[in-house]
Amino acid sequence: MDKGSLSRAPALSRTVRIHVPSEVAYDLERMQKVTASVLGKLGCGGCHSGHVLEFVHLRDFVINPKTLDVQEQFIGH
Amino acid sequence: MQALGVGVVYWPILDPLLREPGSPATVVEIEPQAFWEMSHDDRHGWRYRPNEALLDELAALPQAKLIHGVGHPVGGTVTDPLDHLNLLQDAVTQLAPAWVSEHLSLNRFERPQGGPEPLDQVEHAGFLLPPSQTPATTRVAADNLQRLRSAMDRPMAFETGVNYLRPQAGEMSDGDFFAAVAETSDCGIVLDLHNLWCNACNGRQSVDEVMARLPLERVWEVHLAGGMRHGAYWLDAHNGRIPEPVIELAARWIPKLPALGALMFEILPEHVPTLGLDEVAQELNLLQTMWALRAPRLVHVAQGRPAPPATGHSRPEDRAAVRAWECQLAAALHGEAPADAALARDPGCALLARLIQDFRRANLTRALRFTLTTLLLGLGEDDTEALLQAYARHSPPQPFAALEAEQFAAFVWGHIGHWPHLPHLCEVLAFEHALIRASVHGHSTQLHWSVDPTQVLEALEAGLLPPPLPPVHSVMHIQAT
Repeated sequence: MDKGSLSRAPALSRTVRIHVPSEVAYDLERMQKVTASVLGKLGCGGCHSGHVLEFVHLRDFVINPKTLDVQEQFIGH
Repeated sequence: MQALGVGVVYWPILDPLLREPGSPATVVEIEPQAFWEMSHDDRHGWRYRPNEALLDELAALPQAKLIHGVGHPVGGTVTDPLDHLNLLQDAVTQLAPAWVSEHLSLNRFERPQGGPEPLDQVEHAGFLLPPSQTPATTRVAADNLQRLRSAMDRPMAFETGVNYLRPQAGEMSDGDFFAAVAETSDCGIVLDLHNLWCNACNGRQSVDEVMARLPLERVWEVHLAGGMRHGAYWLDAHNGRIPEPVIELAARWIPKLPALGALMFEILPEHVPTLGLDEVAQELNLLQTMWALRAPRLVHVAQGRPAPPATGHSRPEDRAAVRAWECQLAAALHGEAPADAALARDPGCALLARLIQDFRRANLTRALRFTLTTLLLGLGEDDTEALLQAYARHSPPQPFAALEAEQFAAFVWGHIGHWPHLPHLCEVLAFEHALIRASVHGHSTQLHWSVDPTQVLEALEAGLLPPPLPPVHSVMHIQAT
């Protein structure tokens, strides 16, 4: 018996649902948010001719979060 | 026609600015391919999938619309093996743009040994790359533009691109090349002044010299954007406010553009939170000030001469010459030795390779954020860097985040036995991979979690490896419908 199918993708993607058994206690709303976050970013990256810094931001956040504010100021001029 | 006025290239994060009463934007430019996905099923094979719900929303915006292609540039010979014209036509029908534009660039290489399927025989470059500026490219680009115009049944323009390479021996100047493409194709020009300023800053022709060669009556649209310094280069990064020298150029040249129909600001969505919507609105107000410099008049947008005969402008030898440039560029970007020694020495090639790498990693960060976070935290920066470099050597770029992520997931699965100490890496990768497989292929997956997944993901989201967690076995079924 499903606890529910609480996750779905944004309109762009196929509808993607997460089913878990009814006895599962964890936060499906939270999983829904994560799922939507991933599925909303699967498309074409768009037009640019410069740095795309998302990995750099993630690396700095993970490896040395204290440098992130400095980086942001540099990037944003 | 009435001139369209001032506006922005569309991203959903800019919606509030476009929907507010008295919005400073009277025109919005849509890049359709930025909102496509690629999907696969047994019946249709690979195909693009548009975001129809978003198109409906865009059609309802009060602003006039323009369409700006970003996936099928006109400066090369390698065409997209997947049907894209029908999707673009649908967008044109729905949004009724006054004109359609594309980039005078290339973004695909031929892969003769790639495999039997058409998709396997084309490699995506991972970036918009500069064309060779020759009469042969001029004729090839003119054919591509006229084919697009015929398919879209709309006036067609091309954008003056950024070029980080040094001027090549024997090539046409930037201004002469843009002018020749415009005249040969009988198309309009999207004059990107930030691109021209980048080119000048990076050692190419000055903006005034380029402008002196352009048929100014063909400039229908001007793009303005911000950029950033990277080593010796100024990059067209669309990351913030318009630099002062570009504003000065715009103020000087806008009064001299008799057919100017739209003045657009470009900023990538990831930079909007840093700049702020109010600041974006201020940039648009600045554009309104510059727009006022233009003498009000009706704008004539050429429909273009009828399409040339089936043979087009270009000859087989033209296409062979352009193909040779594509091969040289591909070799240089792949780290192989191109026959052209000057190209091999050009530091612009190393810059392009770096920017392609950034583009690929950004796609992985979007689609596999928790997997990458686990790797960074568990392996450290240096080993993750080595892994990403090994992956880049092993696999070609993919234009869509989902495909890049699916390729990387397969690569990581192939090495995952090396990292048994990384907590929950298998479960996190399996989860993100399952979401991608459901979206791209419609495949359903049954996952097993040994702990509460929300606690794992919350720790990773906070930039921390998950702590020891109590065992909570659960089965999760990820299903696409």
